[in-house]
Amino acid sequence: MVGLREVSAFHHDVLPDGRPLTVQEREDILRPYLPRPPRTSSLAKAPASTARRTSTKPHRRKPMRDFLKNQLHVLVYTAIHTLFSIYVRLRRACHAIIDRVFAILYYHHRTPELIKKDVKGLSRLPQHLSVILDFNEDGHNGSGLEDLVNDVCEIAAWSASAGIPILSIYERTGVLKNYIPQTHRSIFRTFQAYFGRHKPTLSLRAPHLPSFSPPSSPSAGSTPGHLSILLLSADDGRNTLVDLTKTLAEMSQRGKISPADISPELIDAEISESVMGEPDLLILFGPDVELKGYPPWQIRLTEIFHVQDNTSVGYQVFLRALHRFAKAQMRLGR
Amino acid sequence: MSSAHLTQVRKWFFQSPPAEWAIQQLRELLIGALRLGPVPQHVAFVMDGNRRYARNHQIETVEGHNLGFEALARILEVCYKSGVKVVTIYAFSIENFKRSRYEVDALMDMAKVKLSQLAQHGDLLDRYGASIRILGQRELVKPDVLDAIDRAVALTSGNDRAILNVCFPYTSRDEITTAIRGTVADYSKPFKPALKRPFSETHITRNIRSRQLSIVSEEPLPLRSTSDTASSVDADADDSASASTTPNPSSSTSVTNKNPFEDNSNPPDFEPSKSAVSNYPDPETITSETLSEHMFTAGTPPLDLLVRTSGVERLSDFMLWQCHQDTSIVFLECLWPEFDLWQFLPVLVEWQWQRKKAREREAISVKAQKRGVKLQ
Repeated sequence: MVGLREVSAFHHDVLPDGRPLTVQEREDILRPYLPRPPRTSSLAKAPASTARRTSTKPHRRKPMRDFLKNQLHVLVYTAIHTLFSIYVRLRRACHAIIDRVFAILYYHHRTPELIKKDVKGLSRLPQHLSVILDFNEDGHNGSGLEDLVNDVCEIAAWSASAGIPILSIYERTGVLKNYIPQTHRSIFRTFQAYFGRHKPTLSLRAPHLPSFSPPSSPSAGSTPGHLSILLLSADDGRNTLVDLTKTLAEMSQRGKISPADISPELIDAEISESVMGEPDLLILFGPDVELKGYPPWQIRLTEIFHVQDNTSVGYQVFLRALHRFAKAQMRLGR
Repeated sequence: MSSAHLTQVRKWFFQSPPAEWAIQQLRELLIGALRLGPVPQHVAFVMDGNRRYARNHQIETVEGHNLGFEALARILEVCYKSGVKVVTIYAFSIENFKRSRYEVDALMDMAKVKLSQLAQHGDLLDRYGASIRILGQRELVKPDVLDAIDRAVALTSGNDRAILNVCFPYTSRDEITTAIRGTVADYSKPFKPALKRPFSETHITRNIRSRQLSIVSEEPLPLRSTSDTASSVDADADDSASASTTPNPSSSTSVTNKNPFEDNSNPPDFEPSKSAVSNYPDPETITSETLSEHMFTAGTPPLDLLVRTSGVERLSDFMLWQCHQDTSIVFLECLWPEFDLWQFLPVLVEWQWQRKKAREREAISVKAQKRGVKLQ
């Protein structure tokens, strides 16, 4: 904290009586607020000009005072952390209660009409929604995979009901990519439970793998939209950029391009074609924001949503994310 | 009326010397206490909210930026005293050039003034200072600002205790593109083959040819490099065809001269062009570490914590490559000029708490593994 007169003098570089501030006067203003110089440098160079004792004399060892200070710090540290643990537990309990309340208020009852009503008031919807899911490998008898597929089905159903055309699901290990037909069947069954006969069409794919869209999708009658789902894993993140660099390096070695030809537009075109375009909204269902290897290039302007201390995939998180997205302003630098 | 009077009294109280001293001691105590736990090595800040703050308090936008600079100084003090080694701040984005000319000029002026003020306090910087690095595309900045930047960087380059990275003007995609370009350029430089004898074949052939063809300009030299890039002798024809179709202007002039010399140059070229591919570093050795080393933040510890103020929950092209793995990203509601120790402290404490929990969990699992191994 700095005194008021000194603040305005520092700000405008001018003393109260109009004289411009010289270098020495500026240093004098700052001096009381600078930390104690570290021992090695104060012994090595001994500046002789100023009169303040603490900064010029080599630091006198005061063992008793240092010891007491250290103990005080330890005490304060343990106090802070104990208080924080209590606070965090209270906060988690609070959030869990609020979560339950929202879950009951906004239960979707597997009816797309309810979901559509919920999103009707929103000024805009994301065209490309992205989600990060966690695969719990320690689940017994492969229940982790089952839970994961359940979550995927639910999220797909909600997106289809809300009218979001593209959904990308990121999961670090990429285990779902080995089970694409089964996942497709589960999602299909979930759609049947939600929509009945007028299901939206579904196509499920992963980058570099052929798209899976069985020919049995109904085309007669009203097609209430199409949902395309993209499965991503950690390989589609940094490793794709590394692969692109390798290809560009080979091309440059053969003389087909020169390094000066590499521009952000070129890389953008390559990456969006091979992996995916830019998502509008990213929903995290974990307690804090950690990207866990999500593709770095595409996430430039993506709105990131999470609920503090949330641990499971729930419809109310999805809805709150959409509401938050509708309120967000994109300024794009201006 | 009474509420205005009350805030005046409060202000007077908090700025009186005893209260100031007490608050200063409290700050020192808290920072000293936090040093005992795990401290993030590399913290990044997105300084968002200056203009909104100015609008809310009915002051000039430029004044808002000034207050933002002071908030930055306060936070840097907190960070360095807590033991953070590297602080990265997002000062100016390449997209911000789209703002009004008045504002862009004002920001550039502020940068110039602050940097030249900094350059005057040489020995103070040597004692406490961090070394300042400016990350970003230098070509977009005016030359006088560039001068101030270079002077400040040169002045502080000797400090090794802490680093301040100022991203000015910076876009993460631009950084990734530059890193890829740098890597590709590195991998396109041919190795110099180890010389068994102190005479280089290329030097000898160059001498002979320059004597034979003394009327020709420097064209033979780039000719040699384009013929070196041929992957094998029989692919020479293919490559000359493909090289002539590339839009690259520098190679087109050399290609037209290539054919008359190709018959002469083939025999001495036979040896190097056959093993030309092995003259280049293998692109398969490129990993994400290679790219990380070509980023502007090369040589710094991995990003531990990223804080964005003003309630906006986006990354906006900042540190996309660096924060994609374990970085804790925190979005705060307060505006940047209001950002101080009291808002930053909960973030730090939570980060420390999470790290401690993670370490405990790891220790438990390691112990369980050891016990499992012992039982077997």
